[in-house]
Amino acid sequence: MNNSLLTVMSFTMRNKLRSKAFIIMTIVLAVLLIVVGNLPYLIDKLGGGDKVTRVGYAEGQQPQVVEGLKDYFVKLPDAKLELVPIGTEAELKGALENGDISGYLTFKEDSALGFPKTVYNAKSAFEGGTSSTLAAALQLVKNNIIIKDAGLNDDQKTQLLSMVSLETNKVSFSNEKGKTEEEQGMAIGLTYAMIILLFMAVMITGQLIATEITAEKSSRVMEIIVTSVSPLKQMWGKILGTFVVAMIQIVILIGAFVINLTMPQNAESLDKLGIDLSVLDTSLVIYAILFYLAGFFLYSTLFAAVGSIVSRTEDLGQAVLPITMITLVGFYVAMFGLTHPDHILIQVCQYIPFFSPFLMFLRIGLAEPAWWEIALSVGILFASILLIGWLSAKIYRVGVLMYGKRPSIKEIVKAMKAYKV
Amino acid sequence: MNSLIVDRIVKNYGDKTAVNGLSFEVSEGEIYGLLGANGAGKTTTMRMILGLILPDTGDIRYLGKGYGKEQLSMLGYLPEERGMYPKIKVSDQIIYLAQLRGMSRKDADRNLKRWLEKFQVPEYYNKKVEELSKGNQQKIQFIAAVIHNPKILILDEAFSGLDPVNVELLKSTVKELRDGGTSIVFSTHRMEHVEELCRNITIMHKSNPVLQGPIKDIKKKFPQERVIVAAEHDLNGLESIAGVKQVIRHEHGGYELKVSSPDVGQLILHQALSQGPVTRFEIMEPTLNEIFIKTVGESHE
Repeated sequence: MNNSLLTVMSFTMRNKLRSKAFIIMTIVLAVLLIVVGNLPYLIDKLGGGDKVTRVGYAEGQQPQVVEGLKDYFVKLPDAKLELVPIGTEAELKGALENGDISGYLTFKEDSALGFPKTVYNAKSAFEGGTSSTLAAALQLVKNNIIIKDAGLNDDQKTQLLSMVSLETNKVSFSNEKGKTEEEQGMAIGLTYAMIILLFMAVMITGQLIATEITAEKSSRVMEIIVTSVSPLKQMWGKILGTFVVAMIQIVILIGAFVINLTMPQNAESLDKLGIDLSVLDTSLVIYAILFYLAGFFLYSTLFAAVGSIVSRTEDLGQAVLPITMITLVGFYVAMFGLTHPDHILIQVCQYIPFFSPFLMFLRIGLAEPAWWEIALSVGILFASILLIGWLSAKIYRVGVLMYGKRPSIKEIVKAMKAYKV
Repeated sequence: MNSLIVDRIVKNYGDKTAVNGLSFEVSEGEIYGLLGANGAGKTTTMRMILGLILPDTGDIRYLGKGYGKEQLSMLGYLPEERGMYPKIKVSDQIIYLAQLRGMSRKDADRNLKRWLEKFQVPEYYNKKVEELSKGNQQKIQFIAAVIHNPKILILDEAFSGLDPVNVELLKSTVKELRDGGTSIVFSTHRMEHVEELCRNITIMHKSNPVLQGPIKDIKKKFPQERVIVAAEHDLNGLESIAGVKQVIRHEHGGYELKVSSPDVGQLILHQALSQGPVTRFEIMEPTLNEIFIKTVGESHE
C-alpha cells in the first residue's frame, strides 16, 4: 500500500512541475540569481570602470592645494579623477551645464584651520564616490602641507602615514585551530543565506501545501480521495511531493548561482570581496541541510493541518496567520542573533522547536555551542516533528470532512472523539 | 452471500445521535434505496460504509469481511457534492483516482477510454475539467466512481443536475452495473428513480430507520386510496358515492378521487359506466412519494 503514497507524491509533483506559475517563478528567480551572481563583475564593468570623472577648477585659485591634488591623482595607478583647469567660476558653471565636467571645486579661505574650505559643486548632491575620493585626496594634501611645514624627513613621513594593522581572529575552544576572519565571514554568509532560504521555503511551500489541501476540500475532490487512500498517506504524499518539487527548484536556483560565482570573470571580483568558496566548512553545510529538512517538515505538517480545517481558500490567509507569525518571529530573532549569537535570548530560543532550525544552525555557524546543546536542540526538534506530524495527521483526518465555517479547537477535539481517531 | 451487510450500526456525535440502530443487507446485483429527508443520517451512514468514520456500535461487513485496507479497492463512491480538480486534465485525474484505488496505470487508462467511449465523449480525454459543462463534469465524476470496477458502489444523488437524456443514459448504465453483479447503495430524493431501480429500501427519519423492506411489501402496507377515472364526457355524481372523500378534476380530462378503501373503486366504475363508455379506470397504488411524505411528514407533526 506504499504504492498509494508514491501515487499521491507523483501526482502532486507532476501537477506542480507542469504548472505555469511554478515554471515562470523558477525562471524569474534563476534569472534574478544570475544577475545577482554577476553583480560584482557587472559593477566593476558598469560602475564607471574606465570612465574618468573630470573635475574642473578655476585657474589661479589656491595653487598649492590644486597642485597637491593633481600630484596625488597623477601618482595614483588608475586614477578615476582628472582635474581640468577652466577660467573663471562662471565658466565652470557653464562647463558643468554642457557636461564637459562632472563637477568643479571652489575654495574659501579658512584662517582658523590654515587650509581652505573646499566645495565640490555637482549637478547632484549625491556624488558620493567622487566627493569621498576628493575628501581623501584633500586630507592627504593637507597632511603633506603641514608635514612639509613641520620639517619631517621622508622616513618619518611614511611612518606617520602608514596604517596601523589589526587582524581579528575568532578563538575556538573545541577545534584545533580557530576560524580565520575569512572563514568566519563565510560562516556568516552561509548562515544568513540559509536563514533566508529556510524562511522562504517554509513560507512558500507551506502556503502551497495548505492552499492545495484547501482547494481539494473546497472542490470536494477530497471526498473521493479520503475514501481511496488513508489521510495520513495523502498528507505525507502531498508534503513529500511538494518537498521534492521545492528541492528541484532550490537545486536549480543554487546551481545557477554557484555556477555564476565560479565563472572566471567573477573570480576576480569575488576575490576583491573576500569570498572564497573553498573555505566553506563542510560540516556547516551538512548542518544546513539537516536543519533545513527539519524546519521544512515541522512547518509543512502544520500548514497541512491548517489547510485541512479550512473549507474555503478565502479563509486560508487568516487561518495560517499564527504560523506565519511564528516563522516571522523566528526569522527576526535569527536576524538579531547574527550579531549576538551568544545572547541569552538566542540560548533559550534555540531549544524551541519552531525557532531551533533557524537558531541552532546560527549558533553552530557563529558561536561555539557545546555538543549537548546541539544534541538537545536537535532531539527536541525531531520529537516535535513526530508529535506535530502525528497531531497534524489527526487534525487532517477530521478536518478534511468538516465543512462550513472554520471549526474551533473545541469542535475539532469533539470531532476527533466522534470519529475515534 | 450478501455483498454488504450493515448490522445495527449506531453513531453519536457528542450528545446528538446521527444514526440509531440501522441494519440492512444488499445482495449481489441489487440496488438498495436509502431514503430520508435532509439531515436524516444518510450521509453519516454512507460515510460509515465507506470507512471514513467508525460506527460506535454495530458492524459492517463487505463480502463477509470487516473493514480493512483491501476493502477500499472494492468500494466506489459518487458523493453528493460533486468535485474534481478544475485545472487538471480529465485523463490525469481519473487515472490518479483509479491508481489510488489500487489499479495499474495501464488498466485505468484502458477503462477510462472505454467509459468515455460509452458516454460518447472520447474527446474529453485531454480536456481540463473546468472546460466541461456541469452535466459533463458529472459524467466524468461518475466514471471516477466506477473506473476501478467496484463490487460495492455508493451513489449519492447520482442524477441530480442532469438533463433527461443524460439521466436516462446514467440510469441505464447503473442498471448495467447492477446486472453485472455490482451491489449499489442508492440515495436520492427522486422517488420515481427509486421505484424504477430499487428492490429494497430503507426510509430514515431523524436518525432512525422508520420503514424498511421490499418496495412491493411497503406499498401493500399503505392503503390504495386513489382512483383515476376518465371518460369522453363529464361524469356526474361521483362525490355522492359512499366512501369517496374528495374529487379532483384534472384539466386535461379525468378525475382523481380519494377514497376510504379500494373497494369503493368498484362503485365508482359502476357509476361512471352508467353514464357512458369509460376511457380510463385505475385503482392507484400509493406512490413512493406519497409514502415518503406520509412517513416522514407525519412524524413531523
